[in-house]
Amino acid sequence: MMNDFVRIEKISKIFTPAKGVAVAALQDIDLTIAQHDLVVLNGPSGSGKTTLLNIIGGLDEPTQGQVSLAGQRLTGMGEKEWSETRRDHIGFVFQAYNLLPVLSARENIEYIMRLQNRTSAECAARSLEVARKLGIEAVLDALPHELSGGQQQRVAVARAVASKPRLILADEPTANLDSKNGNDLMEMMQRLNEDEGVTIIFSSHDPMVINTAKRSIVLHDGRVVEG
Amino acid sequence: MYRFVFKMALNSLMQRRSRSLLVVLMISTSLWGLLFMEGIYDGMTEQLIANAIRSGSGDVVLYGKGYRREQDIKRAIANHAEILQVMAGDPRVASYSTRIMQDGLLATARGSRPARIIGVHPEMEKRHARLDEYMEQGEFDFGGQGKKAIIGARLAEKLNLKIGSKIVISAQNSVDELTSIVLRVGGMIRANNMGFDETAVLVSFARANDMLFMQGAVSQISILLHDQSDAHGVQESLLHQFSTIEAFRWDEIAPVLLQSRQMMAIFNQVTSGLVFCVAGLGIFGVVLVSVLERMREFGIMLAVGTRFRQIGLLIFYESMLLGLTGFALGAALGGSTLLYLQSHGLDLSLMSEGLNAFGLDSMVYAVIRWNYFSMALGAVLGSIILSTVIPLRILRKAKPIQAISEM
Ligand SMILES: Nc1ncnc2c1ncn2[C@@H]1O[C@H](COP(=O)(O)OP(=O)(O)OP(=O)(O)O)[C@@H](O)[C@H]1O
Ligand SMILES: [Mg+2]
Repeated sequence: MMNDFVRIEKISKIFTPAKGVAVAALQDIDLTIAQHDLVVLNGPSGSGKTTLLNIIGGLDEPTQGQVSLAGQRLTGMGEKEWSETRRDHIGFVFQAYNLLPVLSARENIEYIMRLQNRTSAECAARSLEVARKLGIEAVLDALPHELSGGQQQRVAVARAVASKPRLILADEPTANLDSKNGNDLMEMMQRLNEDEGVTIIFSSHDPMVINTAKRSIVLHDGRVVEG
Repeated sequence: MYRFVFKMALNSLMQRRSRSLLVVLMISTSLWGLLFMEGIYDGMTEQLIANAIRSGSGDVVLYGKGYRREQDIKRAIANHAEILQVMAGDPRVASYSTRIMQDGLLATARGSRPARIIGVHPEMEKRHARLDEYMEQGEFDFGGQGKKAIIGARLAEKLNLKIGSKIVISAQNSVDELTSIVLRVGGMIRANNMGFDETAVLVSFARANDMLFMQGAVSQISILLHDQSDAHGVQESLLHQFSTIEAFRWDEIAPVLLQSRQMMAIFNQVTSGLVFCVAGLGIFGVVLVSVLERMREFGIMLAVGTRFRQIGLLIFYESMLLGLTGFALGAALGGSTLLYLQSHGLDLSLMSEGLNAFGLDSMVYAVIRWNYFSMALGAVLGSIILSTVIPLRILRKAKPIQAISEM
């Protein structure tokens, strides 16, 4: 059970961007990911990293196969169930422009907890706790456009982790950062993985960043070639 | 949750401040203009109707049986004392006046014109039609022996009459003889009722009674009510009690007046419809553009578990804030303008030459009706709903989650 916290069974994804054109982004992927793991998906551009993360997170549907999280089948859920599963169990960090521009950093961090109807006191305490871990407590009242790219990504990670999801999916979280900021962010993700015990799957093709992971899965042309 | 979404809506409008302000101003100024127009036009219509009623038939008018079909002076009301007694005891009746009327001719040394001879009791008319307030020149008084006449201002202009001019009035009396009397002009009256101003020759009741050989009978009893909507009831009860008379409401005597009121209501509806197409398009456009340019933002919101209907709520709040702020501002501006114009009036004397001809005074007092506001509110709410539903459908079709990885 512990060892197949995330189960990916025979996943294929075929895009048909136009009539008669078929792009096989993922082919027959079988994977299991253990709880508390810190996994990197790596591989060249176009190898299917984003597609796989989107399917695990329910942002896209596989053409074939199924995904389960902690024994619960995710594939084929309705809109409401999927929304609630994402809200309550999965945190997302995207490559850039993660934050809601009309909300302050603090409100962005609290956003998911607000959706869960948690009390203001609970939201405030948790957002401060997470902000401290990520070193952004000084900029909590700033709006996203007032923050640097590195700070924005830290706020995004803070939002993903604040509601205590079981799984965090991060698609190239450091791609828009310089190496210093990228390394800092990865160190913090490592720390969260240890402190909070959250399982993290991220993608990257930066060797420095890949080294921070406990496990590396290499994709090539939509297939797992290593890991 | 609702409060949080509301706050987000407010923030996102504030972030697009100048655009939001523009829509709010657009809605409020069009509402302001609309309210002004509705209030003034209705004020004009009501004044036209009120003038015609006051100086003419009254809210309800009584004639001797058959008079309306054939205006024969012999079809007069002889038992008016009895009728007046009933009316004096009817709380719906505000005032009444008895008049003698006969069409005849007014002649001077220079020429002659058709005239409507109206025999009135000056004291009664002061209370009833307040004809004294319409005096343009001279006094509302027929002199000791009733040797003076008050004539319509337009009639006076046409015959070039001055105070003191000598006039000869002739008409057929109730025994079919042609009679005439000589009077002097004592005053000119302008009631802004075209028919009246062009033909009226007011003489004392006693004079008219003698001249036309009425033997105390009256041609017309004009009745004004406290509440115009009682007209039907009063008409019915009088007809029921007195078989010698016929009774008409003002809208039966002058259906054109009622039509002008109805036309104005339609006109107001059409104008408010048009104005709110503009305002509606304003809200719609702004909301649609802001939805389209926030595709990625909505994508992120959906990805992290926001329900689609919560995004719907956000967009609804945004269009509601725009629409209702615009409405409130416009209603406040328009409402206070109308309140001012209701008590102080709008001076149209620059164009009053033309207006008088249509039966209007140079001061027009605005009317304020609740339905101006409720109709406008309905239109604003309608545009709010459209401005939420259509952009939401477009948003759903656009699959905003995909916008995240496409960037
Ligand atoms: N919506 C789509 N429609 C059509 N084809 C798509 C779509 N999304 C991805 N693909 C294709 O699927 C394949 C895998 O793409 P994906 O984005 O998963 O790769 P990636 O590993 O994330 O690449 P990168 O490192 O550049 O982000 C590519 O060939 C891509 O062109
Ligand atoms: Mg990618």
